[in-house]
Amino acid sequence: MEKLLKENDEKYIKDLFEKRLTDPVELVLFLESENGEKVNKFSAQYLPYTEEILKELVALSDKVKLTVYKDNPEKEKEYGVTHISALFVEGKNTDKNVIYYGIPSGHEFSSLLEDIIDVSNGKTELSTQTKLELQKITSPTEILVFVTPTCPYCPRAVRTAHQMAMENHNIKGIMIEANEFPEWSKKYNVYAVPKVVINDKEQFEGALPEDEYLKHVIKGAVNIILE
Amino acid sequence: MDDFFVGGLSSQETESKAIKSEYDIIIIGAGPGGLTAAIYAGRSRLDTAVIEKLAPGGQIAVSDRVDNYPGFPDGISGEELTKRMEKQAKKFGAEFISDEVRSVSESKTENYFFVETASHGTIKAKSVIIATGADPVKLPVPEEEKFRGRGISYCATCDAAFFKNKVVAVVGGGDTAIADAIYLTKFAKEVIVVHRRDQLRAVKALQEEAFSNPKIKFQWDSVSVHVLGDNKVEGLEVENVKTKERTVLKVDGIFVAIGTVPNSGFVRGLVETTDRGFVVTDKNRQTSKPGIFAVGDVRDTPLRQVVTAAGDGAIAEFSAEQYIKSKERGV
Repeated sequence: MEKLLKENDEKYIKDLFEKRLTDPVELVLFLESENGEKVNKFSAQYLPYTEEILKELVALSDKVKLTVYKDNPEKEKEYGVTHISALFVEGKNTDKNVIYYGIPSGHEFSSLLEDIIDVSNGKTELSTQTKLELQKITSPTEILVFVTPTCPYCPRAVRTAHQMAMENHNIKGIMIEANEFPEWSKKYNVYAVPKVVINDKEQFEGALPEDEYLKHVIKGAVNIILE
Repeated sequence: MDDFFVGGLSSQETESKAIKSEYDIIIIGAGPGGLTAAIYAGRSRLDTAVIEKLAPGGQIAVSDRVDNYPGFPDGISGEELTKRMEKQAKKFGAEFISDEVRSVSESKTENYFFVETASHGTIKAKSVIIATGADPVKLPVPEEEKFRGRGISYCATCDAAFFKNKVVAVVGGGDTAIADAIYLTKFAKEVIVVHRRDQLRAVKALQEEAFSNPKIKFQWDSVSVHVLGDNKVEGLEVENVKTKERTVLKVDGIFVAIGTVPNSGFVRGLVETTDRGFVVTDKNRQTSKPGIFAVGDVRDTPLRQVVTAAGDGAIAEFSAEQYIKSKERGV
C-alpha cells in the first residue's frame, strides 16, 4: 500500500510526540477477516487503511506501540469489542475505555493525536469543575459520538467524551465513524453529526461547550450520587 | 479512497501552557477575522489569547472550496485555509483557549476588561476583539426543532454522506446555498434548490456551475412552510410566493443556508448593535465602547467574506494596539 501519511505530516507528528509524550501509550487494534461476525461490508473496506495508518503513526515515536488482534474472540471479549475495527488508546489514565470504532481519519486523526498526548501525560485539559462533577458518576456510562471524517465540529465532541473517560473509568468514550457503521447510525437516527448518545437515553446533536456537554452526560449517567 | 487527512493536524501544536489571568488582547472567536488579528497581535509582541468555543476556523471551515481568497488560483478548502491561519497565529505566539465566553464587562477602577468564560473563570484584558462570527438562521418552519439532525442540516460537508443517492433540498440562493448544492451533487442523486425569488443572489461563477449541473433543479419563488415526516424528513412543503400554490417536494434531507444571525448576545447592552444584533463599529473597527473592537461576520458590514474578515482583523488589531498605548500613556 502507498504510504498514507505525507512527509510533512510525519515530520510534524514526530516532533510533536518528541516534545509532548512522557509515558508509553499502547494502541490496541482489533481486526477480523472479511467474513468476521463484527465486520460489515462498509467497515471492511477500511480495515487495511486503519492498520496501515496506525503502523505509520507508531513508527514515529518509541513511546507509542501498536498491538493488533485479528480474529481473536477472547481478546475481543476482554475489551468488550462490539464492532470491527475497534481501536483502544491504552495508558496510565485509561482502562479499555477510550475507543474508536472505524478509522480515525480526516478531522478525527487530530483527535487520536491529542488522545495519545493526554494518555501519555496521564492528564486532561478538562476544567476542575468538570473533573469534580464527573466523580459523581459511579456506574457504567457509555458516551457514543457519531462522526464523519469531514466534520470539523466533531473532534471537539469526541475529545470531550474521551477526556471524560480518562477522568472517570466508569465512562466509556466511543467514537463511531458513521459511514462505516450505517446500521448502528440508523439505530440512533443519525442524519447529522456530531451526534452524542449517552446510555441510550440522553442525546444531543452538534458540538456543545464543555459545561453543557457535561450536563447531558450527568443526566444520562444511570447512577449518580445525590448531593 | 478519499483523501484521509483532510483536516491536517491537531490544534494543540504548542506546548500546553497554563492560562494566564491577564492578557494584552483577548480575541473572542477563531475564524478568519480573529485569526488575522491574532497574527498581527503576535507580531506586535502583544500578549494575546484567542478564545474559541468550538474548533478554530469558523464558518468557512466547512466550505469545501474557497475560490475568492487572493493567492489561491486553484481554490483552497476552508479547512486548509483556516488551519494555515491558525498555524501562523501560533507561530507568532498567540495562545489558544478552548472555552466559551459568557460576558465581557469593564473594570470601574482600572483600564481593564473582564472576560468571563464558562470553564476558565474570568480573564483580564487591556483590549478585546469580538470575532464571534455568526450562526446559520434556522429554517422558519414549525417543525424545525423536531427534524433538526433528523434530515434538516446546517452543515453540508458534515452531513452530505448520509444522503447518498437520495433527493435533498437546499434552501437559499446565496453563495453558501449554491456552493452547498454543488457539493451535495457528489452524494445525492438530485438536489432541489428552493429559493424565494426567481433569480439567485450567489456570485455569477457559482450560478454558472450550478445551472450546468444536471443533478441540480430549481424551485423558484418558493418559501418553506412545513417539513413533513414521521421520525425523519420525508418531504418539504413549499409555497409559491406569487401564486400561493403549495407543493410537496419529496426529499430525504434539507440543507439550510438562508443567512446568518450574529453571535453578539454576550455583549448586548455593552456595545451598540443593529436591530438584527450586528455590532456597530467605526472605521477603526472600534465599537461604541472604547477598547472593544469587532471584526468579521459579527460586525455590521456590507460584505461578509474571508477576505473582509481578515482585513477587519488587521485593522482592529492595529487600532487595539493604539488604544493600549494611549492608555499606557495615560491619555
